[in-house]
Amino acid sequence: MDRFLTEKVKKAFLVIATVALFVFILFPPAVLFLTSIKTELDALSFPPKWFFQPTLKNYAAILKTSPLIGYAVNSLIVASLNTIACVVIGSMAAYSLARYKFKGSENIAFWMLSIRMMPPVAAIIPIYILMKNVGLLDTPWCLVITYLTFNLPFVVWMMKGFFEEIPRELEESAFIDGCSPLNAFIRIALPLVAPGLAATAILVFIFSWNEFLFALILTGTKAVTLPVGIIGFMKETGINWGYMTAGGILALVPVILFTMLVQKHLVKGLTLGALK
Amino acid sequence: MAGHMLDIVLKNLKKKFDNGFVAVHNINLEIAEKEFLVLVGPSGCGKSTTLRMIAGLEKITEGEIYIKNRLVNHLMPKDRNIAMVFQNYALYPHMKVYDNIAFGLKMRKIPKPEIDKLVHEASEILGIEDLLHRRPRQLSGGERQRVALGRAIVRKPDVFLFDEPLSNLDAKLRVQMREEIKKLHERLQTTIVYVTHDQVEAMTMGTRIVVMKNGVVQQVGKPLELYEKPLNLFVAGFLGSPAMNFLNARVVEERGAFFVKDDHFSLTIPRALKNRYSELKEKEVIFGIRPEHIFDKTLTDPFPNGESLKAKIEIVEPMGSVVVLVARCGTSKIIASVDSKTKARPHVEMDFLLDMSQMHLFDKEFEEAY
Ligand SMILES: Nc1ncnc2c1ncn2[C@@H]1O[C@H](COP(=O)(O)OP(=O)(O)OP(=O)(O)O)[C@@H](O)[C@H]1O
Ligand SMILES: [Mg+2]
Repeated sequence: MDRFLTEKVKKAFLVIATVALFVFILFPPAVLFLTSIKTELDALSFPPKWFFQPTLKNYAAILKTSPLIGYAVNSLIVASLNTIACVVIGSMAAYSLARYKFKGSENIAFWMLSIRMMPPVAAIIPIYILMKNVGLLDTPWCLVITYLTFNLPFVVWMMKGFFEEIPRELEESAFIDGCSPLNAFIRIALPLVAPGLAATAILVFIFSWNEFLFALILTGTKAVTLPVGIIGFMKETGINWGYMTAGGILALVPVILFTMLVQKHLVKGLTLGALK
Repeated sequence: MAGHMLDIVLKNLKKKFDNGFVAVHNINLEIAEKEFLVLVGPSGCGKSTTLRMIAGLEKITEGEIYIKNRLVNHLMPKDRNIAMVFQNYALYPHMKVYDNIAFGLKMRKIPKPEIDKLVHEASEILGIEDLLHRRPRQLSGGERQRVALGRAIVRKPDVFLFDEPLSNLDAKLRVQMREEIKKLHERLQTTIVYVTHDQVEAMTMGTRIVVMKNGVVQQVGKPLELYEKPLNLFVAGFLGSPAMNFLNARVVEERGAFFVKDDHFSLTIPRALKNRYSELKEKEVIFGIRPEHIFDKTLTDPFPNGESLKAKIEIVEPMGSVVVLVARCGTSKIIASVDSKTKARPHVEMDFLLDMSQMHLFDKEFEEAY
């Protein structure tokens, strides 16, 4: 009897903690959403109004009057190209670091990781000058390339871990069955880390989609991405909270849909090895 | 190479790992066609490393490997026409059993109908036809083992390489698979190199055995040859269970006869072996005798070359067909496997009869057999 009781208390505590955590995490997006369906008057009232007449006016306005769709297309191009490049280059690099130990291979792996330790701001001026000199400023390419700097080390480290989890005999068995090293990579190693690769790709996509600082500096008019575009509603004459929050929600939707779609892989991928 | 065909030749084969550790020293070995060669030795003696060099999975530091008269040192594993079965089976988890078996054929661009035929043929031999549509993780250990065998035999390779394929199975299944692999060998008539640390497997399966220790080949020969005429203390102690008894002793000559002698025993060396050991007069040696060549004196009629020895029983272990007795004679431990009718009880002194025609003598310093 006693044990059941403590079990129940434990469970209740867990539920409460989970709910509290969710409220904490979901509060900002909830406010974002509520603000996006308020009229300008309701949005600015203080204390904030919890009951009001919802409206889609903001959404209609930004979709009609601002080039938000164009920004979204830019974001999509940048994020997808970056993700593809990261996955292709990163998984190959990770595989060779995991499987072919040579003098200094551990140092190379660490050096890659150390790039991520650098604050992005530190690199922004050199990158700006570089991009200007090669004439890539204000194109999607300059963002695709710049994001590689930050996403590739992440992909390499994630994937290196996944590849190291695969028993070596599987590839050795494939060699004996007639595979070249490249064949063994494509037919054996890659399918086995597929869930992990998918999870990593999602995280990379989300990073590229949301990135703000570099996008702000490196683009001007043609290659503007969503986060930078949304900031455009911040004018000298004042901030249009309704437009900004509606833009924010629209930027969130694809990410949420995408994540829900691949959620199964995400969980499987991030716990790869633990499940085995 | 006329006459009988050699399938694998290892010439001065050596493996030094990057950390400087030499795992295999200078192995020379000729493996004939259709042979079932077992590499046996304690953990870490370099068996797997040798096998993996034959497979092409491990770089060769020095020496040469020939498979079917072809130098393969620089050939990739895929070009050596070998098949290998790993200890943990190494089945591809993302493929069904059928595709696991078919994979090697697909990689060799064999037409689909032909693949289908071969896969079904192989799975019929191994009795795994019902499993073809399962995934490896839905199989028991024994079934995985069969699939791994299927994957190996389906390609009809020149050589099979096995690396401790039975060590993950329970005792009963191990005995069963041992028989099946032997039968498979008879049926397919393909050369097998089989690695194990289990001397029973080595004795029962191999047509020839290679005993290794610390990367050095100790002895090569037919199972019984190694069992009856071990070249050194290590081989003598490694093969056979329970292991051979070793007692420190001295060879002495008294009135024309030779004895193996210690403070607690004195055993006459058979006349037939006298010449062989005559050089050893007054020498300190190690005397070896197998447990099955020691008898309970009360249950055994005297026989030629049977010599008595008194020892105090410490442990009595009934094994069913025999009783294993652990006894003490002075400072030496003696293990005997005697008739199960024995009346031996712990802490009681009893008389044993040793069959001295089966005795061994070893050099005390170099541990080599005389
Ligand atoms: N990559 C490596 N680098 C350094 N030393 C190694 C390496 N691989 C194996 N060794 C060493 O080489 C020796 C022989 O290893 P090997 O795997 O051939 O032993 P084994 O006879 O197969 O033993 P087991 O019965 O345990 O499988 C061992 O001492 C091992 O520690
Ligand atoms: Mg081994």
